[in-house]
Amino acid sequence: MALKQKLKSLMGGKQDSLQSPLEETTSDFLTVGAAVMKNKIEKKPVNPHEEQEIIDGIEDKYYNNESFDTSLYELQKLPEVLDLEKIAEDAAKLKTQLQAVSKRVSELILQNHPAYAAELQRVMDLQRTLRSAGAVCQNGRRQLAHARESFTIASLGLLANYRKRQQLIGLLKSLRTIKTLQRTDLRLREIMEEEDYCGAIQLCLECQKAASTFRHYKCISELSSKLQDTLEMIEEQLDVALSKTCAGFDEAYYQKVQRAYRQLGKTQYMVFFGANLQKRQYADLCKNITIEAFTPCLVDLCKALWEIMKSYYKTIKWHEAHDQESANSESEDASDNIEASFNRRYVNQKLEYGRGRIWQDVQQKVKMFVLATDLSGFKLDDFIHVLDIINRMIEIGEEFCGSKSEALQDSLKQQSLNYFKTHHQSRLDELRMFLEHEAWELCPVKSNFNILQLMDHEDGYGDSDSDSDVPDELKKDYIDELTGEAHSYKLGRKRSTARSSRSHRQNPLITNTTLNVLRVMGKYLQMISFLKPIAFDVISCMSQLFDYYLFTIYSFFGSDSPSSNDRTVNTRLYTTLQRILDNLIATPAADKVPAATMSPLINLNSSSTLYGLAERVVATESLMFLAKQLEYLHPYLEELIPSNKKAFLNQFYSQSFMEFHKKLLELDKRVPLPKAVTNLIWEQCIRHANRMFVEGYASSKKCSNEGRALMQLDFQQFLTKVDQIAEIRPIPEREYVEAYIKAYYLPEHELESWVHDHKEYSNKQLLALVSSVGHLGRKSRQKLISMVEEMDKGRRS
Amino acid sequence: MSESYEFLFKFLVIGSAGSGKSCILHQFIENKFKQDSNHTIGVEFGSKVVNVGGKAVKLQIWDTAGQERFRSVTRSYYRGAAGALLVYDITSRETYNALTNWLTDARTLASPNIVIVLVGNKKDLEAEREVTFMEASRFAQENELMFLETSALTGENVEETFLKCARCILTKIEAGELDPERMGSGIQYGDALRRMHRQEKLQPQTTRPDCAC
Repeated sequence: MALKQKLKSLMGGKQDSLQSPLEETTSDFLTVGAAVMKNKIEKKPVNPHEEQEIIDGIEDKYYNNESFDTSLYELQKLPEVLDLEKIAEDAAKLKTQLQAVSKRVSELILQNHPAYAAELQRVMDLQRTLRSAGAVCQNGRRQLAHARESFTIASLGLLANYRKRQQLIGLLKSLRTIKTLQRTDLRLREIMEEEDYCGAIQLCLECQKAASTFRHYKCISELSSKLQDTLEMIEEQLDVALSKTCAGFDEAYYQKVQRAYRQLGKTQYMVFFGANLQKRQYADLCKNITIEAFTPCLVDLCKALWEIMKSYYKTIKWHEAHDQESANSESEDASDNIEASFNRRYVNQKLEYGRGRIWQDVQQKVKMFVLATDLSGFKLDDFIHVLDIINRMIEIGEEFCGSKSEALQDSLKQQSLNYFKTHHQSRLDELRMFLEHEAWELCPVKSNFNILQLMDHEDGYGDSDSDSDVPDELKKDYIDELTGEAHSYKLGRKRSTARSSRSHRQNPLITNTTLNVLRVMGKYLQMISFLKPIAFDVISCMSQLFDYYLFTIYSFFGSDSPSSNDRTVNTRLYTTLQRILDNLIATPAADKVPAATMSPLINLNSSSTLYGLAERVVATESLMFLAKQLEYLHPYLEELIPSNKKAFLNQFYSQSFMEFHKKLLELDKRVPLPKAVTNLIWEQCIRHANRMFVEGYASSKKCSNEGRALMQLDFQQFLTKVDQIAEIRPIPEREYVEAYIKAYYLPEHELESWVHDHKEYSNKQLLALVSSVGHLGRKSRQKLISMVEEMDKGRRS
Repeated sequence: MSESYEFLFKFLVIGSAGSGKSCILHQFIENKFKQDSNHTIGVEFGSKVVNVGGKAVKLQIWDTAGQERFRSVTRSYYRGAAGALLVYDITSRETYNALTNWLTDARTLASPNIVIVLVGNKKDLEAEREVTFMEASRFAQENELMFLETSALTGENVEETFLKCARCILTKIEAGELDPERMGSGIQYGDALRRMHRQEKLQPQTTRPDCAC
């Protein structure tokens, strides 16, 4: 029973210990087997056959169910009444059965143990293999997971990189384009240098367009602003190029420029010539021109300005021609046409307007230049050259835009006046020097000598080769003017020769100074033709020369005349002299000339030289000659001066000249002024002597009859002497003396009427006569005296 | 012309007709040759300011006619000349022979101590020369003249002649041999100097004895 229990518990235990059932059962079996074996050994070995029978004897029930409770079964089988033997028999049977089974089992176990061990070993191996497989698997899983992870990121990166690459390629392309764009800047500059404005603009515009597509780049904004700059620069360059056409018009070039402008969309673009004449420093520059540089500068300036005008003119022409063309070609496109024609009109209008403006500018420039320098130090030829250039410019202006060129005329006049005033001043000074050196000797010239011959001389001298450096065009004109002058002189000379052959039979009496005056006048006349605007001033200066000469001669020779009082010197002469003194001489001021002093060589007080008779004659005659020459020039001068100033000329001729001409006759009386013929000298001499007779006789307060007779005798004596030496018949003023002497003898009543009639005697002489007459009563003498005094009053008033 | 100058010298140009006096003057003043020159009538005048030893000197030059008939006219211009150019034509012995007369005239009419330069003109016509340099040089030495040969055509020595004469006068003034204040010296002070001298001496040196007016 204990065994059964033990087995049961063992089996129960077997059921309990699930942890290692195999091992435990194995060990259980082993122990069971061992026990069985012990049992067998204890009993007697039973043959296999018996054993089989025993085993077969084992109820089937033992095999039915695994969970069969053997103990329970055996217990149940026990009958109600227990038979110990039977039980013991059953127990022994069961014991033998058990022994057989155990033996069998043990046998089986022993039989199967190596297989079991081998199997176990294999199981162990398998387990081990499985374990390693698990590890491999785990590892594999891990690896796979890692692999899976790695693979995704890489591919994403790959994709991203690929995209980036694509982008970068795009960028590179853009950058290349940009680089090219940037390089075009250089190219543009090159093109500009090649003056291919069209190409440059086109390129530039293309670049701009390209640049605008790359707007999103930062550098592009710079580039495009740079391009804008470049475009502006091109425009500027174009302006410069356009302004270049100002100085030298080149059709192809201009066309290029114009096309370029059109490309810029500036069809109304105008040529701003005027603006191209440089401004600011010009005035200062003008002031710094030296005298020597003046003329070349002026020529250059005028040439430059002329070039500009020429270019402008060509521009206009170009536009005209071009308009024609474009009008023909554009006639199809109506809308364009309207705009184009509008533009054309605009341009033409502006060009037309610009013409005047440019000339105005040119004028201003030249004027500023001309007026900035004091030309008074110039030599006449150089000055004339300058005038000529300006005149030429005026002509150009006239042709260019029909302008009267007031500004130029004005500057011309101003400079001429200034120049001439200075010139005249030095000529007056020279005249004074001449007068102070003048010996009043006759200067031998041909009988038909006149002012024009002298002028021809001056002509030949002044202009021989003075104009060698004048531009050809100017030169041509200059010469034309000259020949024109010469022509008129020749005409004049023909007239004069006819005239002089009539009036001057002998050589004219002139002095070296007269010649100089004539020379200067000739020069002045010549100058008039160049100084037309100031012709009037020139002529007034000529009159000054004459005035000065007249005044000097009067002060040299006339002022010492004993009879020089306002009665013998006619009032008009007196006022004339006074006027000259006031206007021309007077105090030494800037524009006046000090009075000349006579050369100390001349002695007017020596009786041996007839008190300088010859000199006086020559002086006065020379003055006469001068006067005649001037009179002869009168019509010519009249032509020269503007009509509104003719009054002056007439005034001059009437005031100091024509009347002076008459006055000379009176001068004759003060100063012996014969017509260079001895007759005339003698006539004047005698006349003068006769006056002296009367004067002398009048100075005696008392006179006896005898005295009177002696007077008569003296006079007779004088007359006979005169008769012998002079051939003058009748003796001039003989009656003048005789009547005066004879008046003494007149009866009272006749004397009264005689005094009344003979106004040629001076007051003093008449008074002396009256008081010297012996036979007069006191009363009648008083009456006569008062009558004479009244007459005198009447004469004075 | 309002050039300022320190001194004013009166010069004469004398010599026989046709010796080229006017051409020399023209060359001196205008710097060019006077092509078709006529005989001078009477006396002509020219002036130029030159620089002599750093001083501006105005030369007042009287160009006289060489023809005999103008003698009486030209004589009055001699007076008070400070310097003279005595011109003869190297291709004409006649003009050379007349030198003595001209010299006497100059010394008597102008002033005994007038500075004279003997000028042999037409140097360019070497082929037609009649008066040698040596001969004229000897004449100049004997008569205490300076001597130069000139060509009014080429301008050779023209300016030099005037300058030489002016320099000599200036030297004499500085040495005290010539007194610009003296009457008829042919020398005047220019504007600046004159003002100075006027303050020093109350009597202006330009006054001349009152003539018989």
